[in-house]
Amino acid sequence: MSGDIELVGSFADEHECIHGVEALRGSKIQPARVFTPFPSEHLTEALGYGRSPVRKIVLAGGITGVLTGIALTVGTSWEWNLIVGGKPVVSIPPFIIICFELMILFGGISGLLGFIFNAGLPEVGEIEGYNERFGSDRFGVVVRCPESDSGRVEALLKEAGAENVYRESA
Amino acid sequence: MSAQPGRAAGAQLNEQPGLPPSPAIPASVTGILAVLALVGGAAFVATAYSGSPRAWQAFLVNLLFWLGIAQGGVVISSAYYLTQGRWAGTMAFRMAEAFSLFIPVGLVLFFILYFGRTAVFPWVSHPVPDKAQWLNTPFLFARDGIALLWMTALSMIFVNVSRGEKARAWTQHSSNIHMPPKAIKRLAVVLAISYAFVYSLIAFDLVMSLSPQWHSTLFGWFFFAGAFWSAVVMISLVTVLLGRRFGPQSAFSRPGLLHDLGKFTFAFSVFWVYLLFSQYIVIWYGDIPVETFFVVLRVNTWPWWPLSWLVLVLVWLLPFTVLMGVKPKKTPAILGTIAALGLAGMWLERYVLVVPSLSPRELPLGLAELLITLGFLGVFGLCSLPGIKYAIAAAASAGPKEAR
Repeated sequence: MSGDIELVGSFADEHECIHGVEALRGSKIQPARVFTPFPSEHLTEALGYGRSPVRKIVLAGGITGVLTGIALTVGTSWEWNLIVGGKPVVSIPPFIIICFELMILFGGISGLLGFIFNAGLPEVGEIEGYNERFGSDRFGVVVRCPESDSGRVEALLKEAGAENVYRESA
Repeated sequence: MSAQPGRAAGAQLNEQPGLPPSPAIPASVTGILAVLALVGGAAFVATAYSGSPRAWQAFLVNLLFWLGIAQGGVVISSAYYLTQGRWAGTMAFRMAEAFSLFIPVGLVLFFILYFGRTAVFPWVSHPVPDKAQWLNTPFLFARDGIALLWMTALSMIFVNVSRGEKARAWTQHSSNIHMPPKAIKRLAVVLAISYAFVYSLIAFDLVMSLSPQWHSTLFGWFFFAGAFWSAVVMISLVTVLLGRRFGPQSAFSRPGLLHDLGKFTFAFSVFWVYLLFSQYIVIWYGDIPVETFFVVLRVNTWPWWPLSWLVLVLVWLLPFTVLMGVKPKKTPAILGTIAALGLAGMWLERYVLVVPSLSPRELPLGLAELLITLGFLGVFGLCSLPGIKYAIAAAASAGPKEAR
């Protein structure tokens, strides 16, 4: 949007970064993006992201896996109606193993795919606001705001402990 | 923190506002436990004197159950040291070690089992020729006695070192990357490995030998994994109860601690059912009579099959389905209920493992078993009071910023 600029505040400490994010959200400004060198649960909470939807995808995948397992084992047993070793044609104990393993398989794969999709990966092209150091030892808070707000945002970030607040070409 | 947890818990708690008055554990609790112990002891003596084998069967079931909890607790503490689990907070260690004083009592009770050996071990009156070299009275009591003596000594030393200055300091400051102190680290390794060996041996000798023709290779692990889980749920239950007593601001009500205990309960109930199913599927598939008779008696035959399925529900199905989410784990009422039901389930599990071997057609479950179990509960409770008081004192002196 014209008139909007991008400010990037870099923090050296996780807690200061969280304070910065909380200060921004307190002023009704949602950071566009936050880069962290390591995962931070408190930061995710501070950003107000809530629970990830990936768990529902994994659950759905797991249930699909169990049902597929039942379909595969029971279906093929009924189709090839053989009595082996005196066991019933549809014998539950060994079928449990296959249903369980397919649950894990489908759950795992759907979790992976769900995560990739939810995280917006792969991210092709240049990542706005990213600095090499954010993958190493600094936290980066990227804020998109109109030019007029830039002073306020910079003050909030500096107050929370930002080492450096610089402008990124929008 | 410079405060010594050894000092009277009441004095420290009194200094903090909003907490109930001292003593931390009212005398009525001690009284009730003592009465239960006496009543149980009397019931045991009366039943044993009448010549009924039920007394010693109940004795064995309870010995396995309660000793498993006490020993499992100490092993949980060693597991925390081995995995450098300081994130769990000091209370995790203190609560795990709270029941350790029952271990020496269990050792003594094991030797008392000698007097009931004819009621409990079928191979005493009817020796099994092929297995007589292993299953004979002197060898069994010697090896199991030495093994349990080793575990007792090791556990007592471990708890002592864990409550010492260095180890306690290590658990309280989680913001450095130091390893645990050498002494406790080495003890934890020896304790954990010894637990696996000794409790497999106990499982083979005190449970599997009751049906001398039967064997299952995984049985030792299944047994001590169940003991480990029963310790986890006992810790969860006592933590929830102490949280109710000391209020939502106490270290016992910390959501992180309850979450950890809930995860532990969830995960190891799955481990237990995994080991159970591993044995079951192999025996089911092979369909060899010398292996299947043990399982068929417990899973397909009346009067045992309802109890066996109840065990599965209480020990796996309920904890698994109820404790899957995050919120139920952090809700004390839910965690406490599942833990209490889990304990009942584990007691039943020990019962279903032991008693059908000795009394295949009848169900000896009545007043005698109830009173003897309550008696063991009383003794276990009395032995755990010092450890629990120590944990309460540690909770009172734990600072807000340090690992609680």
